[in-house]
Amino acid sequence: MEQGSILLVGVGGQGVVLASAIVADIALRCGFDVKQSEVHGMSQRGGVVTSHLRFGGQVHSPLIERGQVDVLVAFEWNEALRWLPQLRPGAPMIVNLQRQVPPGACRDRKSWRSGYPAVALDALARQVGDLRVCDALAIAGQAGSPKAANSALLGVLAPLLPFPESVWLDALRSHVPPATVTINERAFAAGRSLPFPEETRRHAGATRFSANGFHGRDESAPPRLEVIAVWCKGCDICVRACPTHVLALNAADKVAVVRPDACTGCRLCELLCPDFAIVVHDAEERAADLTAANHSGSEARG
Amino acid sequence: MTATLLQGNQACVRGAIDAGCRFFAGYPITPSSEIMEGMATMLPRVGGVFIQMEDEMASLAAVMGASLAGRKGMTATSGPGFSLMQEHIGYGAFAEIPCVIVDVMRGGPSTGLPTSPSQGDVMQARWGTHGDHPIIVLAPASVAEVYELTVRAFNLSERYRTPVILLYDEVIGHVRERAELPSLESLGVVERPQPNCPTEAYRPYGDGAQRVAPLADFGSGYRYHVTGLAHDERGYPTQDPRVIARLHERLHAKLQDGRAEIVSYEGEELDDAEVVIVAYGVSARAARRAVSEARRQGLRAGLFRPRTLWPFPDAEVNVLARSARALVVAEMNMGQIVYEVERCARGQAPVFGCLRADGQPLTPDEILARLVEVRAGEAEVSR
Amino acid sequence: MNTAARADYRRYLRLDMMPHILCPGCGHGIVLQAMLRAIWRLGLPQDQVAVVGGIGCSSRMVGYVDFCTLHTTHGRALPFATGLKLARPELTVLAIVGDGDGLAIGGNHLIHAARRNIDVTCLLLNNAIYGMTGGQVAPTTPTEMVSATTPGGALEPSFDSCKLLEAAGASFVARGLSSAPIDLEALIVQGIQHQGFSFLEVLSDCPTYYGRYNRLGEGPEMLQAQRRHVDWVAAPLADKAFVPGFADTAAVADVALQYGVLHRETRPELSEQVHRLIAASVGEGPT
Ligand code: SF4
Ligand code: SF4
Ligand code: SF4
Repeated sequence: MEQGSILLVGVGGQGVVLASAIVADIALRCGFDVKQSEVHGMSQRGGVVTSHLRFGGQVHSPLIERGQVDVLVAFEWNEALRWLPQLRPGAPMIVNLQRQVPPGACRDRKSWRSGYPAVALDALARQVGDLRVCDALAIAGQAGSPKAANSALLGVLAPLLPFPESVWLDALRSHVPPATVTINERAFAAGRSLPFPEETRRHAGATRFSANGFHGRDESAPPRLEVIAVWCKGCDICVRACPTHVLALNAADKVAVVRPDACTGCRLCELLCPDFAIVVHDAEERAADLTAANHSGSEARG
Repeated sequence: MTATLLQGNQACVRGAIDAGCRFFAGYPITPSSEIMEGMATMLPRVGGVFIQMEDEMASLAAVMGASLAGRKGMTATSGPGFSLMQEHIGYGAFAEIPCVIVDVMRGGPSTGLPTSPSQGDVMQARWGTHGDHPIIVLAPASVAEVYELTVRAFNLSERYRTPVILLYDEVIGHVRERAELPSLESLGVVERPQPNCPTEAYRPYGDGAQRVAPLADFGSGYRYHVTGLAHDERGYPTQDPRVIARLHERLHAKLQDGRAEIVSYEGEELDDAEVVIVAYGVSARAARRAVSEARRQGLRAGLFRPRTLWPFPDAEVNVLARSARALVVAEMNMGQIVYEVERCARGQAPVFGCLRADGQPLTPDEILARLVEVRAGEAEVSR
Repeated sequence: MNTAARADYRRYLRLDMMPHILCPGCGHGIVLQAMLRAIWRLGLPQDQVAVVGGIGCSSRMVGYVDFCTLHTTHGRALPFATGLKLARPELTVLAIVGDGDGLAIGGNHLIHAARRNIDVTCLLLNNAIYGMTGGQVAPTTPTEMVSATTPGGALEPSFDSCKLLEAAGASFVARGLSSAPIDLEALIVQGIQHQGFSFLEVLSDCPTYYGRYNRLGEGPEMLQAQRRHVDWVAAPLADKAFVPGFADTAAVADVALQYGVLHRETRPELSEQVHRLIAASVGEGPT
C-alpha cells in the first residue's frame, strides 16, 4: 500500500480523535506525507466525530471524497451506517458493535422509543465486501478498562495498513496516558489477533437486537418513580444524591430503580436530574394520571 | 402630493412614521443622528417606543426584539455603526425578522470622514455579514425619494420578512430641499399578516405566500422558536443538509420571485444613448446634469439610475450594454458598483468608472469630462 | 400561584426536542428545571412568557422550552429582550445567559440593562468556563484555575457578577446554586415577581471542561463541592440541610460566596416609564 485514505467515525467521548492522531503519527514515522482533519462540533455532547486521514508519498487534500475511503473505522453502529457511502466499493470496514443513542434520536415521545437503527449485520455484510465486526468495548473491558476500546480498534486496523508492528506500539505508548499503557497494549494486541471473517460471523450469529437496546421507560419502576430512560445520560447525580440508595445505573448507563421499597418520595433525584429523566409521583397523583390516560388514551406516564 | 421644505433625514423620519414604524432604537453617530432625534420626538406622539441604546449592535437587536413583538422597527447609523450591525443583519436575514436599517454613508474606512459624503458602503450593504443571505438595499437620490423609499423599505421588509437597508449619503441626508412627497395612498402601507391556523399547525419558517410564512407576534398565542442557527420549518435547529438546502433556496427564491416588485430604477434619455451613465444617490444628480450638458454638445448620453441597489437590476443593465457603445459608472468610492455593472454587461460593452473617494461629491463637469474621454476612446477600462 | 407540592413543569418542555444536548451531569439542566418550576408556581400564562438566550451551552436551553423563545447572538440576549419588553410590556421576559456570554462579549449590555432597570429577569449561569467552544478561560474563571487557554492556570482575577450588577443598578440581585434547586426555584420566583431588572447569578457546573481540566470530578462531585464555597445570607433560605444526600460538613472555603437575595430596592422600571410617557404624548404636537 503506497497511499491510503482512512475515515474514522464515532461519537463524542469514544476517542476517535486520539486514535486518528496515533495513526497519523505512525504514518509520519514511516516516512509518509500525512493530512488529517476532524469534525467534532459539540462532540462532548454525544455528537458525531469524524476524522479523515490520508497518507502517501505526497498528499494534497485533507478530505477524502465520497466513495474513496480505503478503510472505514466505525466506533459506533449508527455511525457505521451513516458513513457507509464514503467507502470505496470492496474496501474493508471495521465496525465496533457499541451503540450510543444520540440525544436527537428520540423520535416517539409516546413510547419514548428512539429512532436508532436496528443492528442488522447480515444486511451490512451484503453491502461491504470485507466487514470486520468486533465488540471493542468488551475487548477493552477484558484488557482492564473500557476506555481502551479505541486501542482495540487500532489493533483491528493494524493488519490492514502497511506499518510495522513496532511502530504501532511505539506510537500507542507515546499517546495514551502513562498509567494506562499496559491496558492499551493489551487491548491493541487482542484487537490485532482477532480472526476475520470468523469474528464477524460470530457476531452475526449472536446479535439479533430488536429495534435497539433502550426501550425508554423502565417498566420495572415502582409506582412512585417514573424514569424516562432515553433522556437519562447516566450522570450518576440522582444515584449519589438519593439518601436511601434507591437508584443505580444499569449496564447501559441508564438509571434503574434497585430498591423501590426504600424510596421516601423526597424528590431529590427529580430536582437534581439535569435531564428531566426522573419524576417522583405520590400515590394519588399516579391514580389521577392513570385515569386521565384511560380517558384520553394519551401519554400520562407513571 | 404635498410640497414642503424638508431635510433628507427628516424625510426619513416622516416616511417611517407614515409607514407605521412604532419602534426605534439607535446610537448617536454623524451624519445620521437627526433621524434618531426626530424619532425621539415623533414616536411617543403616535404611541411608538423610542430608546437610545448602548451601541449599534444593541440597537439593531432591540429593533428585532420589538419587531418580533409586532412593532415595525427601525434603526439608523453610519459607517462605523453599520459595521457593528453586520452580525445582526445576518441574524435578521436568516431568522426572517422584518426591520429597516438606515445607513447614511460617510467617508471611510474606519472613522474616515465623519461629516463628508461617500458611497463606500454599497458592497458592505450587500455582503457585509458573513454567510449567504438575501438582502434588499434601496438608494434614494432626493429628499422626496428618501420619504418614498423609507415607506417602501418598511413595506418590502414586512412583505418579504427581511431586513431592508436604506442607503444614502451624507449630502442626501443633510440637504434641505423642496420636496413633493407622494401621497401615502399611492404608496400603500403593508401590514404584517398574522397566522390564523391552529397554534400547533403554525410553521414560522414554512413556505407561505410569496414563500414567506406569516410572522406571529410574540404574546399573540403562537409559541415558537427563533434562532440564528440553521433551522427547520418550526424554527428548531437542524443539521440536516436537505432541510438547510431548502431553507437557503427559499430565502433566495423569495427575493428572486419578488424581483418585479422589489427592483426599481429610472432611465433618462436611454433610447438612443451611445454612452450610458449608471449612477445612484447623490452621484445620479450630478450625472443628470452631465447628461443634459453632453446632449447639448452633441454627445448622446443617457442615465440609468437604480433605486434598488440589491437585488441589482442586472437584466436591465445587460440590455443597456447591448445597445450602448459604453457604460460609465459614476460613484463616490474607489470602485464598487462598477464591477457589478461590468458583470452584468457580460462583455457586450466596455465599462468605465468615474470614481471619487475624497469626501467631495462628483461634479457634473467631472462626469461630462469622463463621457467625452470615453467617447474619444481614451479611457482605461473600469477606472 | 400554584401551591401543589409537585410542580407540573414538564408541560413546558418541547417534548419533540428532548432530550437536550447538554453533557451528562451538566448543571444547566437543573437550573432549567428550577426555572420551569418557578414559572409553573407563578401560574404565568404560557403564551405570555418569552425566554431569550445568547450563545453558549446555557443559552441553547431556550430551544427546549415551550414559550416564545428567542435564541439570539453571542452576548446580545439582553438588547433583544429589552426591545421585546418595551414593545410588549405585558410579556414576562426572561433571559438565560452564560458567564462568557453575559460578562465578556455581552458585559456592556448587561450593565446597561441593569442601569435601565428594565423588567427582565436575567439568569446568568456561571460555570467558570466557555463550554460550547471547548473549555476556554472565562471572566469568571478563578485565578490559577486551568482551562484550554490557561494551561498553566489563569492569571487574571475574575468578576463578582453580583457586586458588578448591584453597582450597575440592578434592583434585584441574587445568587443561587444548581445544587440547591428548591432555593433556586424560590429565588427565580422572587426575581420574576420583582418589578425591574432582576439579576440572578446561578452557580452551575461544567464537568466536561472545567471539572476535567481542574480535576474536580464529574457532575455529582462538582455539585457537592458547590456547597463548600457558599455562605448563606437570606434567612428564609437558610435551611442548610435540605439536600440530605449532599450534607457536607467540610469547612467553608476561605472566601465564601454569598448566597441568597443580596440586594433589593424599588426604583422606577423602564418599560412602565416609557409607556407612561407615550400615554402623555399621544396626539400632542404635529405628527
Ligand atoms: S424520591 Fe428521594 S428517596 Fe425516592 S428515589 Fe428519589 S431521592 Fe431517593
Ligand atoms: S440524574 Fe438524571 S440523567 Fe443523571 S443518572 Fe439520574 S436520571 Fe440519569
Ligand atoms: S460543555 Fe460544559 S457547560 Fe456545556 S453542556 Fe457540557 S458540561 Fe454543560
